[in-house]
Amino acid sequence: MTDYILRRILLMIPTLLGITIVVFTVMASAPGGISAATLVDGQNLDPEAKREIEAYYNRIYGLDSPPAVQYLRWLNNVSPVGFEFDDAGDISGFSLTKGSDLGKSFRYGRQVSELLSERVPITLLLNAVSIPIIYLIAIILGVYAATQRGSRFDITSGSVMLALWSIPTMLAGVLLIGFFSNVQYWHWFPTAGISSPNADNLPFMPHWQSLGQAGLFGLISSGFTGLTVWLAALGSVTIRVGVFSLLAVIAAVLMASALPESSQSLSWTLLLPVIFLFFVTPVALSDYVILRIAYLGLFGLILGLFAALHYAGEGFISGFFVDRAWHLVLPVFCLSYGGLAVLTKLTRTSMLENLMSDYARTARAKGLAEKDVIWRHVFRNSLLPLITVAASLLPGMLSGSVIVESIFSIEGMGKLAIEAVQTRDRELVLSITLLSGLLTLLGYLISDLLYAVADPRISYD
Amino acid sequence: MTELNSNSQPSASSTQTRYSFTQRVIKDTFTRWGARIGLAWIAILTVVAVFAPFVASSFPWLISQSGVVTSPLLEHLSLADVTLLMTFFTAFFLCFTQLNLEKKAIILIAAVIITLVAGSLTINPPKLSIYEHYRTLHQQGDVDWVIYPPIPFSAQDYLRDYGDTGLEHPLSKNDRRHWFGTEENGADVLSRMIHASRIALAIGFIATGIAMSIGIVIGGLMGFFSGKVDMIGMRIVEVFEAIPTLFLLLTFVAFFGRSLYLMMVIIGITGWTGYARYIRAEFLRLRQQDFVQAAISLGLPLPSILFRHMLPNGIAPVLVAASFGVASAILSEATLSFLGLGLVGEPSWGQMLNQAVKSSSFNWWMAAFPGGAIFLTVFAYNLIGEAMRDAIDPHLHKS
Repeated sequence: MTDYILRRILLMIPTLLGITIVVFTVMASAPGGISAATLVDGQNLDPEAKREIEAYYNRIYGLDSPPAVQYLRWLNNVSPVGFEFDDAGDISGFSLTKGSDLGKSFRYGRQVSELLSERVPITLLLNAVSIPIIYLIAIILGVYAATQRGSRFDITSGSVMLALWSIPTMLAGVLLIGFFSNVQYWHWFPTAGISSPNADNLPFMPHWQSLGQAGLFGLISSGFTGLTVWLAALGSVTIRVGVFSLLAVIAAVLMASALPESSQSLSWTLLLPVIFLFFVTPVALSDYVILRIAYLGLFGLILGLFAALHYAGEGFISGFFVDRAWHLVLPVFCLSYGGLAVLTKLTRTSMLENLMSDYARTARAKGLAEKDVIWRHVFRNSLLPLITVAASLLPGMLSGSVIVESIFSIEGMGKLAIEAVQTRDRELVLSITLLSGLLTLLGYLISDLLYAVADPRISYD
Repeated sequence: MTELNSNSQPSASSTQTRYSFTQRVIKDTFTRWGARIGLAWIAILTVVAVFAPFVASSFPWLISQSGVVTSPLLEHLSLADVTLLMTFFTAFFLCFTQLNLEKKAIILIAAVIITLVAGSLTINPPKLSIYEHYRTLHQQGDVDWVIYPPIPFSAQDYLRDYGDTGLEHPLSKNDRRHWFGTEENGADVLSRMIHASRIALAIGFIATGIAMSIGIVIGGLMGFFSGKVDMIGMRIVEVFEAIPTLFLLLTFVAFFGRSLYLMMVIIGITGWTGYARYIRAEFLRLRQQDFVQAAISLGLPLPSILFRHMLPNGIAPVLVAASFGVASAILSEATLSFLGLGLVGEPSWGQMLNQAVKSSSFNWWMAAFPGGAIFLTVFAYNLIGEAMRDAIDPHLHKS
């Protein structure tokens, strides 16, 4: 096993070299390329000062040397072992302990490693929140769709997932931020960033003025949630659909009346109930209890929270945790729905293949409960493609966060990447390439290792 | 896949004439409702894109000035417009002929080249388009009668003759009718969307075409030669797969500047790995089969073996990937334009979304309509891809 991991890690080196060479070639072969002239271009300077600055850039970044030399110098700086240079720029010796140096960003004038260590955790936070949500929902929906193959639920969820997959992240992000964090409409969510400006001074957990207030808050929100969960679990379709349609219409009318004066109009009061009914009633109609309870319970929880904030929201201090969560709701939603759709479809297909297999029939024939057949036998064997996809999900989400971060003005790695290529920041572009390539390759490696864990037939020895 | 499908072949061929595997897949695909809806939307979009200047233009179809009837619209058609129309009509009529695919392709290409050559000699639209010219004439009463297109605004017509134009709600009470409202400079959103549909369709087809060609050649060579070529090829594929595509695209576009053609090429260059993998897998399987061995021993040239004998038998999975590929190419262009790296002058759906974000206030019609168009188009291609995937899936045919 150790052998295998070592070999894989060594094999990463040529791939990483290849990636950086591709990106560097793109940069170097572009018209203008990476030269001091393009860096100072556009700044309004007199020719003398321009020449001075160009000479300065050339001296400290070596921009006047040929591209191949530039690349090799960068490579030497980055690799943990390499040549050392003296002040005159000649090779003075070979060192095994010089350590790697990602260089200095042109634009920020700061160490790239420092910049990355600020930005990367934010992107990772976004992804770390999204991935478990994606997997949880995808597995629940995908497994049920597979067991109910050809049913109404299967067909509906299949088309809904395909539609979700086709919604461009930009559209979802722009509409969400436009309607839900804009003062013109419902100003419910923050517009930018991942925490409020004063978040550092906040206590970690939320606080209320008094214990009574806190109790009331909890009572109202959990009351609503409990009620909707109980209603969602009801057996009678007519009651369910009736009650939830009514709730949806009431919520929609309240929401329309919560609009600021300037944008209130009759069309909103008419349109919102239709939208709410469209999102609530089909689920109330469904005969899948877990989905109903989770989805309609969430609906109840949202309603409950609003009611609680309205009646017991005085003196409520959100605290660091809730503040952060509040900032993350919209970005995480935008980041996760696409992956969710892909993964649900994948779970369904891989479950279907196994449900038709011989061992599933054997398990049923010996009298196992259907639940055990599905979760103990079929599901475990269907996990393999889900694990493989985890590796390809990560790079996908890294690029997804480019869009999400730029819409929600989150200072993460994606936003840094856009700024880097727009300002032709050589060190930064190469470092980001290297890092995201490394993350991708590590993702592949981890998924291969997990593969062996999940499937005893696979061994790397 | 061929072995698996040969089981179900007798039932299919006993009732109908014989179809090749690929033909059967395509026929199967379009019996499904999802694929039909997707195809219908794309057909509508194609017609709208081809006839864009006739549907949305500031120039009247026909105008009669002191007894002389002219068509300013036809005078303002550009070479690209005429070529598109010519291609469309040729393709339309070729659909009804009984010629084989190769001849059809040759006729189509010939028609395009003839139009381009003849057009570049004869077509010279006025360099300067004064959009309000005919409106002003109309208002002054200098014309007998005039017929306007259904949407009487060009994509870049900022309605300067109306004075203080700017943001307007869809169908706001006004003497002008803007179905989807106007953007900040006063241009009609629907008209911009109609003209932008050309970019979306072109990007989708050409970028995927480039990616597919590169993927088929590299993947085909990898699969055919296997061994060392395969090893090196797979490393190259891995390198390209490990770079996040969007980031590579960003780098390309940021460093090379903004051009539609460049964007197509770049999306093509970054997206070929999937096709290469599929073709490689198919060719690795096919190269062992008798008909390929026979072709090799006959001493046929390599391109003939690869593209005439092996490719038609291994293309089906690539077609599925291509359908999804068109969708993702459209999304890529929209994303790049959205991030502000797209075209500057001409409208594209992504650029319109970008405009919606850039504006100081949130105007839902500027985001919802272009974004909705992207969604519908991507959804349509995904529906077709999904139906095609079901059609080549042997599991579904067994049950």
